[in-house]
Amino acid sequence: MTTVFLELRNLQKVFRVGLLARKVTAVRDVSLSLRRGESMGFLGPNGSGKTTSIKCILGLIRPTAGSVKLFGRDPWDIEARAGVGYLPESPYFYDWLTPREVMNYAGDLFGLDRTTRRTRTGALLERLGLGHAADRPLRGFSKGMLQRLGIAQSLLNDPELVIYDEPLSGLDPIGRKEVLDLMAELRSQGKSLFFSSHVLTDIETLCDAVTILNQGKVVAAGRLDALLDRGALEVEALFELGAGGEAAARALLAVEGSVERERTGARLRLAVPHDAVDALLQAGLAAGAKLEQLLPRRDSLEELFVRKAVRVEARGESQDSQDAAAKGQP
Amino acid sequence: MTGAVHVTGPARSLQRIAAVAANTLREARRNRVFYGMLAAAVLLLLFSVALSELALADQKARLVQDFGLFSISLLTVATAVLMGALLLHKELERKTLYAILPKPIRRSEFLVGKFAGLCALLGVQVGLLGACWWGVLVLRGGAMTPALALALGLQYVEVVLVTAVALFFSALTRPVLAGVLTAGVFVVGRVVYVLQDLLSAPKGGFAEVPVMRALGKVLVAVLPDLSTFNVADEVLLGWPVPTDYVVAALGYGLSWTVLFVALALVLFERRDLT
Repeated sequence: MTTVFLELRNLQKVFRVGLLARKVTAVRDVSLSLRRGESMGFLGPNGSGKTTSIKCILGLIRPTAGSVKLFGRDPWDIEARAGVGYLPESPYFYDWLTPREVMNYAGDLFGLDRTTRRTRTGALLERLGLGHAADRPLRGFSKGMLQRLGIAQSLLNDPELVIYDEPLSGLDPIGRKEVLDLMAELRSQGKSLFFSSHVLTDIETLCDAVTILNQGKVVAAGRLDALLDRGALEVEALFELGAGGEAAARALLAVEGSVERERTGARLRLAVPHDAVDALLQAGLAAGAKLEQLLPRRDSLEELFVRKAVRVEARGESQDSQDAAAKGQP
Repeated sequence: MTGAVHVTGPARSLQRIAAVAANTLREARRNRVFYGMLAAAVLLLLFSVALSELALADQKARLVQDFGLFSISLLTVATAVLMGALLLHKELERKTLYAILPKPIRRSEFLVGKFAGLCALLGVQVGLLGACWWGVLVLRGGAMTPALALALGLQYVEVVLVTAVALFFSALTRPVLAGVLTAGVFVVGRVVYVLQDLLSAPKGGFAEVPVMRALGKVLVAVLPDLSTFNVADEVLLGWPVPTDYVVAALGYGLSWTVLFVALALVLFERRDLT
């Protein structure tokens, strides 16, 4: 069996819109791959092509060019989709059904036998906090409850690959925590996760790898630790200048690479590259400044995201995706 | 892929179609259009009782027979048009489709399931109205004869065909237009035999004006002749309806139904579900 669960090669989707059938490219030249047990975050601002790509992955939309493989098969092959658990963005279900009926319907589509379906339905509804509402029509459900039902039905087939489109949207803090815990649990069970999100800290927590889209293009892709380059680490320091006053400040700012961040009275906050910390501390001691705080600062995914998104917008066309892919693609 | 999931084979395919059909039937049971049409048909049947009071004594039962068949046909077809035209649109508008089609189900299975579910509902409607009609007939001194039951059965075949037409237009365009076009096919289909007569007549517009003749030929070629399923006159006059005719009508209805469902499928398969 293939170990590459999901593979996109040069995926492109062009829609024709309006009376004049104007061409709009929603996804251009997107490539990625996800192996067994890996988890990948799919990032991008609204309209960047995330949902269109996910719909191509699931056979809801036909690509204009390029290819999609699910478990090595075409996503239009139902056997390929049998191992996938999918949660659409803001999931909708027939509001006259109850959660149990939704799960039964899904179970029939997955071809589960009655015993397996019942056992898993009960366990999943309880796990997602819907046990008490299992036989209530969905009409009165909150968005968070629908989201949890969406997750429950996505796990009914015990999928090997979970594809979630914005799984945390619409959830309150407790709901978010529960879903994050569940996704971490899925990951620990060895399932592969592929999910889009606007909440970058969640992706940092849950993912091994990330693909960032903007304007339909991959602007960064690869393993998180490779993308968030540790060479770019800097350290932020807060000094009480004390008797040294202005002279101490000048001495500290004279350290190579040092940048003033904030100055409040006799306090100076500055940042230096990681390899200049020793020099900074020596300069501070010599100048009579008192160190109050020293914080290593890592480039966050959010900063990377903003930087890449802004860059591609500024350039229009960018080579970044290829650079990043070459640098860190797992 | 995963241990307990089996998706291939005809039995699994039928299971999925049945699941979609059952869900469609369950949904339709809650639809106000269904109950509205049912109530309207019952009122029309009751109205036929009042109307029959105006008829001559030996014509009372016949009037109820005639009016009953007409009422059931009209309102069941109206249900098929309204619900058929909305069949796919509602799934897309409510986005319920996006939680279903990524599962291991073919689009063809989904579409056939939706169609089967609606046909089952219309079967229930024809059955309920038939029972009601039977009661009215008994009330007026008549009875439900095999010939009347046959007429009702052929009407159901017509309704299934109209549902297939609605499904096709539902896959092609927006619901209002789909409803209008389906109703148009029904109306023209009911009188297509008149068009055939006009085309074969030696004189008249359809015989002499080339454009009209071409248009008439196209209509006759692309539209089903729905009068095939209307044996009310024969039944009411007590004429026998030959078995050969019934078999041919069933085959004719089935062929057109399969054609329209297949066309709907081609459109639905090609559609991007954005």
